[in-house]
Amino acid sequence: MLLAMELESEVELAGHEVTDMVMSSDQARRALASTKPDFAFVDIHLMDGATGIDFGRELSENGVPYVFVSGNIKKIPDDFAGALGAIEKPYTANGMKNALTYLSAIVDGDESLEPPASLVLADDARASRRS
Amino acid sequence: MTDKEQQQTDARSAGDRLVSGHVSEDPFAAAFKATRMPMIVTDPNQHDNPIIFCNAAFNKLTGYTNEEIIGQNCRILQGPKSDPKAVEKMRKAIAAGEDVAVDVTNYRKDGSTFWNAVFISPVRDDSGKIIYFFASQLDFTHVKSREADLAAARHKAEEEVASQTANLRSALSAKSLLVHEVDHRVKNNLLTMASIVKMQARITTDQGQKQALESVLNRIEALSTVQRKLFTLDDVSKFDISDFTRELVTDLVEATGRKDIHLSLDLSPVHVPAVKATPLSLVVNELVGDAVLRGLSQGGDIHVVVRRTNGHFVILVEDTSEPVEVDKERAQFSRKLLEASALQLGAKIERTVQNRKTSVSVTVLVDVNLETTH
Repeated sequence: MLLAMELESEVELAGHEVTDMVMSSDQARRALASTKPDFAFVDIHLMDGATGIDFGRELSENGVPYVFVSGNIKKIPDDFAGALGAIEKPYTANGMKNALTYLSAIVDGDESLEPPASLVLADDARASRRS
Repeated sequence: MTDKEQQQTDARSAGDRLVSGHVSEDPFAAAFKATRMPMIVTDPNQHDNPIIFCNAAFNKLTGYTNEEIIGQNCRILQGPKSDPKAVEKMRKAIAAGEDVAVDVTNYRKDGSTFWNAVFISPVRDDSGKIIYFFASQLDFTHVKSREADLAAARHKAEEEVASQTANLRSALSAKSLLVHEVDHRVKNNLLTMASIVKMQARITTDQGQKQALESVLNRIEALSTVQRKLFTLDDVSKFDISDFTRELVTDLVEATGRKDIHLSLDLSPVHVPAVKATPLSLVVNELVGDAVLRGLSQGGDIHVVVRRTNGHFVILVEDTSEPVEVDKERAQFSRKLLEASALQLGAKIERTVQNRKTSVSVTVLVDVNLETTH
């Protein structure tokens, strides 16, 4: 939760509003039902186990772009469960800041920025796994 | 006289006729009688193709006396363990009047079994009519039992190997699970430490304290990045200092949001033992941090090189920027970290300042032993 709170500060500092912070996939589902966010950060390991991937798929089905935030991105399936990419833990303040800048631009439809080193894009990960 | 008795009498007299046809000096007959190979002759022209003659070796092998065996069909040697397919093969060959060689389990008079390599061949008269069948026996039980022993031993060894492999596999999987778990916890703890410091820095209003906390955070994050980069190479005992440097420096420069700091990189992969990752990452962190700090004043160029040379590798950070007044405490702390890390690595640091250009190179001897064994 500490990590989530810290991430909340970073996100708010970057000028965004945090709609919900949840700890389990059930809480996440309820939150999604009440407010559909513009973007989401999803850890693979939630309070109820490795349920982040399944919830990620639900986000994707609901048209919510998201990234995984995880200490083990190898656990993410090859299709990345519809995620844009992943930020690997432990990320640095700079790494998160750069990822936020890039992701806000993408959500706003601006694809001109170079992706930062701290963000593993789903397409790149797929390409390197295939090779 | 019963039919049975009549048949036995007929078989015996057929045998007698066969023997009397050969004078006692006939070497073939003598050989037949004396050979150690069990042999019999049957008469297919009598009812049920009875045995009409057998030699002493056959008596010895089967335990039957002449009285008991003459007049019997060879079936007498068969029992429950005799393979029906082998029996059928013999029956067909006899019916067709052909030679046949068959391995079959046979029974002695006392009920014990032996592996019999049977060879049966028809004997024809001048007109080509089959008048006898000749059969030789060869007890090869010892060969079979050795085969069985070998197969059993092999089977046992294979089972042993399979069980050991399963044990090893499960031990290995437990070990990698543990490594994963520990790695995961270390990562989470590093991020938690960083988060605690960040939170404190955010709340603190005192600029000096804020700076001190950010200085600590910066070093914790360098170590976090090391932990994230560990176990990513195929050889998990190695760490690519170039990959680390690229991410550290690009993240740092990008986060400044300054377009007037130009970064150029010349990084070739340098795999170092994982044990050296921490001091090396601190070295890179200090050098790059200093260069970016100088660039913050009025922009500038930063050039970073990581390259393998003869038995060494070099980390070179050059920057061209306006000289700035440095915070004394910060500079002192940074220098201490750099010196301690260099000492730990046995590295040589060279710093030159020429006009606006600052150049720092760190030369590290690649420990050949460490490199090959770890």
